[in-house]
Parts: sequence; structure tokens; C-alpha cells
Amino acid sequence: MPEKAILCVDDEQIILTSLRDQLQRHFGSRYSYEFAESADEAFEVIQEFYEDGVEILIIVSDWLMPDMKGDEFLIRVHQQFPGIVKVMLTGQANEEAIERTRKHANLHRCLHKPWSEDELIEALISGLEM
Amino acid sequence: MAGRKGNILAVDDTHANLRLLAGIFAEREYRVRPVPDGAMAVSAAQAEPPDLILLDIMMPGMDGYEVCERLKADERTCDIPVIFISAKNDLFDKVKGFSLGGVDYITKPFQAEEVLARVETHLSLRSLQTRLEEKNKALTDALEQLKATQNQLVLQEKMAALGHLVAGIAHEINTPLGAIQASINNITNALNASVRELPRLIQHLSFERQADFFALSEAALKSKETLSSREARKKRRSLRKVLEDHEIDDAESASNILVNMGVHQDVSAFIPLLKEKESPFILQTAYNLFVQQNNSQNIKTAVERVSKVVFALKSYARHDDSGQMIQAVVTEGIDVVLTLYYNQLKRGIEIIKNYSAVPHIPCHPDELNQVWTNIIHNAIYAMDGKGQLEISVRASEGADSDPEAGWIIIRMTDSGKGVPDDVRAKMFEPFFTTKPAGEGSGLGLDIVRKIIDRHQGRIDVESEPGKTTFSVFLPIRQ
Repeated sequence: MPEKAILCVDDEQIILTSLRDQLQRHFGSRYSYEFAESADEAFEVIQEFYEDGVEILIIVSDWLMPDMKGDEFLIRVHQQFPGIVKVMLTGQANEEAIERTRKHANLHRCLHKPWSEDELIEALISGLEM
Repeated sequence: MAGRKGNILAVDDTHANLRLLAGIFAEREYRVRPVPDGAMAVSAAQAEPPDLILLDIMMPGMDGYEVCERLKADERTCDIPVIFISAKNDLFDKVKGFSLGGVDYITKPFQAEEVLARVETHLSLRSLQTRLEEKNKALTDALEQLKATQNQLVLQEKMAALGHLVAGIAHEINTPLGAIQASINNITNALNASVRELPRLIQHLSFERQADFFALSEAALKSKETLSSREARKKRRSLRKVLEDHEIDDAESASNILVNMGVHQDVSAFIPLLKEKESPFILQTAYNLFVQQNNSQNIKTAVERVSKVVFALKSYARHDDSGQMIQAVVTEGIDVVLTLYYNQLKRGIEIIKNYSAVPHIPCHPDELNQVWTNIIHNAIYAMDGKGQLEISVRASEGADSDPEAGWIIIRMTDSGKGVPDDVRAKMFEPFFTTKPAGEGSGLGLDIVRKIIDRHQGRIDVESEPGKTTFSVFLPIRQ
């Protein structure tokens, strides 16, 4: 089992499945890929990984999700795991929220939907090199 | 100070009378213009309209009746009060005098006090009337201005309601677009890989394993199941155990791919295939076939989503410029609004729709959309984004004695915190809001009620904690 993982959080399955195939193609079995449909579920996954000793390298999160929005989610993750690289992938840019995440969660990149595969992969690779 | 109390035109062919009248008024701060015949009276009144006219009846040439008639026919002079003066033994026709527009009459010989008293009475009546007209005009102007302001506010409220929606709509469109863009890349890459790798794979596999490979691919393509991420994680874990029990190498990757392909129920038939030396390559090739189908399905779902939003946007603003009502079905409007609110509703709020078939009714669909938007927006607010929203629509065409007969009844019930009695009493009043400053204009429900009034319908609210129902009644026959 790869000891390193990439976690994607989006409330839309169509986004998660298309991300899954993109990640799979570019990074193959170098990493584990995990998907969560809400911040709550993502916390569960983070906890499980933590217990299994899997290191999450990057989290790619949507912003507009029910319950907890992406900025709050990433900021909370950052408080616990400052080493995880955070990328936002959003269909609707709320500048304040992005700025807040930049400031309080050390946001690595903010990508806008529809995203291009190149910019996604560039954001991930540059994040992985950090 | 002549003229302070009023400007009087005195008309009499007898010079002695004219002098007498002029004297009476001039002494008491009136301005008097004496005129000795009818024709001059008319032109004097037109040239400079007086406040009141004292008019002798019997005059050579144009008599008093005719003068009065002409004055009343001219809009410059028609409002000036006319008091007739007639000699006691003249054949004065009072009825004719009044019917021509005279306000009073005085009989000669007259007493100064009587003349003054009557003139003063009519002057004050006249001035009261003038003031009343001015007030009326001011009121009419104010009303017009209020109406214009109200229209402006209604429009602002409509834009605000749309504003709430637009933020979510950008997301609603960009999300499917993102999925489409990514899926197209995935399909292209998977297709290229398939074309490249399938021949090699076939060469390496026995006939039996070839059959297994295509059975696996087919099982994946036929799989209709979509698992939530949480379910998928569970399946992956249990499948990994199964594969490990079968001593499959890299059971983790294999179980990941199989679950992603939707093949996880019964994998026993594929165990020999998974035990092949090149099983990762075999699985990857099967997966590439699946990616093409699965991502096509993604695109289809995404396109449906965008079309729905675009359709909803078009319908939301549907408006007949003529201001005439058009035939429409209310449930369509409600669904449009629900589509636009999808983002705010989809996770925390369960929508229960109980629609019965309802007939078309004449209505302003865009205005009714505003009604549904307001009620649904308030419901989401009251439930703090979590709860249940039940929407029932039915037509009631029972007996005439049934108070609910002949109506379409729309009930929207939310499980929110409820409306306290003191708020319920005021909730339809303009500018009343319970929302923090900047979040609500306080006009939403006022406009809702106005729109429903315009449809000759009515709206009721019942509320207790955990259950608030807005009932809208719209007449079927209009």
C-alpha cells in the first residue's frame, strides 16, 4: 500500500470521478487517492489515514459545499496538519474566502472550474515538490 | 390695502348701482372693478379672472344669464363664483340662475351687510375649494410618487432574490463544465491507451483468459451502481481481503480498480485473470475501457445539469411584456425555483414533493416565481440550511360550499424554528424583517402578498416550532 495519499473533497460525484481518472493516469500507483463528498467525510478519511500511518500530501477541495465550506475546512486541516499542501478547486470564487485560506491555511493554489488538466497537474506537482 | 380680501367684478347697467356696490367693497379692503354691460364683463373676466362676480340680470344687449353661460363655458373663468343681482319686481328665474352655474342671488334693493355677508361666504367657500383642489393634487402627486417608489422597491427585491440565486448558479454551471472538460481528456487518453494496448494484451492471453478479460470489461460496462465515496471505501477494504485470501499480488491496487469499475459483488470468476503475471496491465486495460464509458456518463449527467439550470433561468424570468396574465401551471414555476436553489437545498434539506395534477391558470409566472423564491428562501433561512421542506400542490374543485373549492392550493411546510406570534402578526408588513441588517429588505413577504392579491388569491401562515406552513390559494377560474 502506498504510504502517501492525495485527498479530493467535492460534493459532486462527477467531479470526484473525473479527478480520480486524471490522478490515476498521471501518478499511477505512486499514491493512494481518496475521495470525500463533504468536509465531515474528509475529516473521517484524514483520521483513518492517520491511524493507518498513511501520509496525506495534498488535499484538493471544492469551496461551495453544504455544511462546511472549503475555506473553513482547509483552515481547520491546516491547524492540525500544517504540512499538507492545500489546493482549492472552485466553481465560484469568493475572493474573501480564498484570501482567508491563503492567509490561514497557506493555500498553495486556487484553481477555477472548469479547470485544465495541465494546470491541475502543475499545481499538484509543484505542491508535491514543496 | 385695496384688494386684500378679494378681487370682485361688479356688473350692472345702472351706474348708481355700480357706484353703490363699488363703495361698499372699496371701504372694506376689496378691489372692485365696475363694468356697465355684459360683453365687457365677459372680456374683463377673461383678461383678469376675479375671485367673484356680482352679475345683474336685466341688461340691454347681453343679459346676465348669457354672461354667466359664457363664463362657465370658458375654462379660464368657469370656476369663478357668480352671484346674481335682480330687482324685486324682475321676472327672475332662480332655477335658471342656479342651473347656469350661479351660486347665489341678491335682490335689489339690497342692504350692504347682506351683500357683504353673501360675498364673504362664497369667497371663503371658493378659497376652501381651491385649497382642497390643491391638497387633492398634492395627494395625487404623492400617490404617484409612492407607486413609482414601490415599483422600484419591488424591482430591487426581485434583483436581490435573483442575487441570492446567481452566486449559486455560477457554481451550478462551472461544476458540470469542469467535469465535462476533465472527462473529455480522460476519454481521449483512455481511448488512445486502449487502441495501443489491446492488441498486445490479446497476444499475451490464452483464449480462456481472453474470454475472462472481455467478461470483466463487460461486467464493468454493465455496472449501473454508483457508490458514494464512503461506500466505495468499505467495498475496497472488503474486496482487498477477498483478494488477499486468494493470494493475489498487490491486492490493494486490484481492489481499487475493481471497485472503481463497479465490479465488486462476485469476483470469483476473475480470480484466474487476476493471477496472471501481467494482471496490473490487464486490469489497467479493462479500466481504460470502463473510463470511456464512465466519463461519457459523467458528461451526460453534467450536460443535463447545465441544461436544467439554463432552462430554469429562462423560465425564472419568463415575463409577458403586455402585462397580461398568461396560462401556466404553478408546479412548473416551483420546480424552476427549486432547480435554482438546488445548491442550497441538496445536502442539508430534504424536499418532499406532493404534487397532484393541477390545471393551467391565468397568472403572471415571473411574479409567482418571486413568491416561491421568497417562501423557499425564508424556509432555508428558518431551518438554518438543515431540515425538511414539504411542498404540496393540489386543485380543489369540490362543492361550492367547500371553502377550498375552485382553488389551487400550494402548501410549503418547513421544519424550521417556527414563527413567534408577535412576528407572525407583522411578517407581511413592509420593512418588517427578522434578518440582520443588510440581509433582508423586509419587503419580501409584503411583495408576496401584493402579488397574490393581484392574482385574487390569498396567503395564510400557520406556525409552531418545527412546523411552519405557508398556504397560497390561487383561484382556478378568473
